[in-house]
Amino acid sequence: MSQDIATIRVTRYRPEKDSKPYFQEYKVPYRQDMVVLDALNYIKAEIDGSLTYRWSCRMGVCGSCGANIDGEPKLTCASFLHDFKGRTITVEPMANFPVIKDLVVDMEDFMEKLVKIKPWIIREKETPPEQGEYKQSAQELERYSQFSSCINCMLCYAACPIYGLNEKFLGPAATALAYRYIEDSRDEGKDVRFPIVHEMEGVWECTLVGECSVVCPKGVDPMLAIQKTKILGATNAIKSLLMPRGGR
Amino acid sequence: MGDTSRYPEHRRKLSPRWWTANRHYAMYMVREWTSLFVAVYSLIFIYGLSLWATGSRANFLNFLKNPAIVGFSLVALVFIMYHAVTWFYLLGAISPIKIGRSKTKPWQALVLNLILLVVVSYLAIWLLVLR
Repeated sequence: MSQDIATIRVTRYRPEKDSKPYFQEYKVPYRQDMVVLDALNYIKAEIDGSLTYRWSCRMGVCGSCGANIDGEPKLTCASFLHDFKGRTITVEPMANFPVIKDLVVDMEDFMEKLVKIKPWIIREKETPPEQGEYKQSAQELERYSQFSSCINCMLCYAACPIYGLNEKFLGPAATALAYRYIEDSRDEGKDVRFPIVHEMEGVWECTLVGECSVVCPKGVDPMLAIQKTKILGATNAIKSLLMPRGGR
Repeated sequence: MGDTSRYPEHRRKLSPRWWTANRHYAMYMVREWTSLFVAVYSLIFIYGLSLWATGSRANFLNFLKNPAIVGFSLVALVFIMYHAVTWFYLLGAISPIKIGRSKTKPWQALVLNLILLVVVSYLAIWLLVLR
């Protein structure tokens, strides 16, 4: 197999030494089947062991290896080097997040949001396991299944200028996950989650840029989840206004 | 997440030119900016209706025939159509209608709503101008 040379420009930021990030360029020999993550691994193993980045599964499942590649949020394990043939590939840490080191961003804010929306099935009263599972039809599953494919890679946050301007915004993935549970027929936590997704920095902060759904590597449509949550909230508000006692 | 406070994190600010990064951002920004035209057109129309309410229909029609208003309305029409197309498409994506086992596609909502827009617009023109 022939070997081409890829030129990769990677953001370096070593907080103990650097006052701000800078680019470092590397030349990486590559084969047709190599992705940007392979190039980063090559750099770390063969050229510069100090390069720091996150990765795990290298097959688009774990959601660890997100970066801005040529300005676009992508999984480095799903971006083939040959797609950039003949030009320098710029790899930067995911936009909108604080940078800890090189390509590693601080995920703390997203983790807090994830917990905040309570991503588990809430029951008013749990039934004992002996009584069997909570059953669901195929149609009921279909209502939320695409939103359960989220791998928490945070690319949608890197693509969202609203989040870039206001990090308090609940954001795409957390709302998509909240909607996934709101639409789950087995869940009874609507009243718990509604105030969270409808607070000031919740869904109403979204002004429909739509890029979150474009960059999602798993085909989830967070923009759709956010708009559907808006509709649910608005209908609920009208219902409780018209029927204060039994609106919901 | 461990002790990250020992060294400073690098915080980046969104560049004022963020929307030039790709086509989707630019299209979004065009929609945001052109909302101004939609708003101004609404004000013009409300003012026109107030002329009719306080005077006569001729006042209202003469006001709308002003070349500056006609020019502005034509520009606003282009932008309003951009808003209509994007919003109608989105409407179809957010609230598909179930027919039997299948769901309507966003483009079907777009076409149906555009037809409705033409019909409603014609009715409005008929009521306000032609009648």
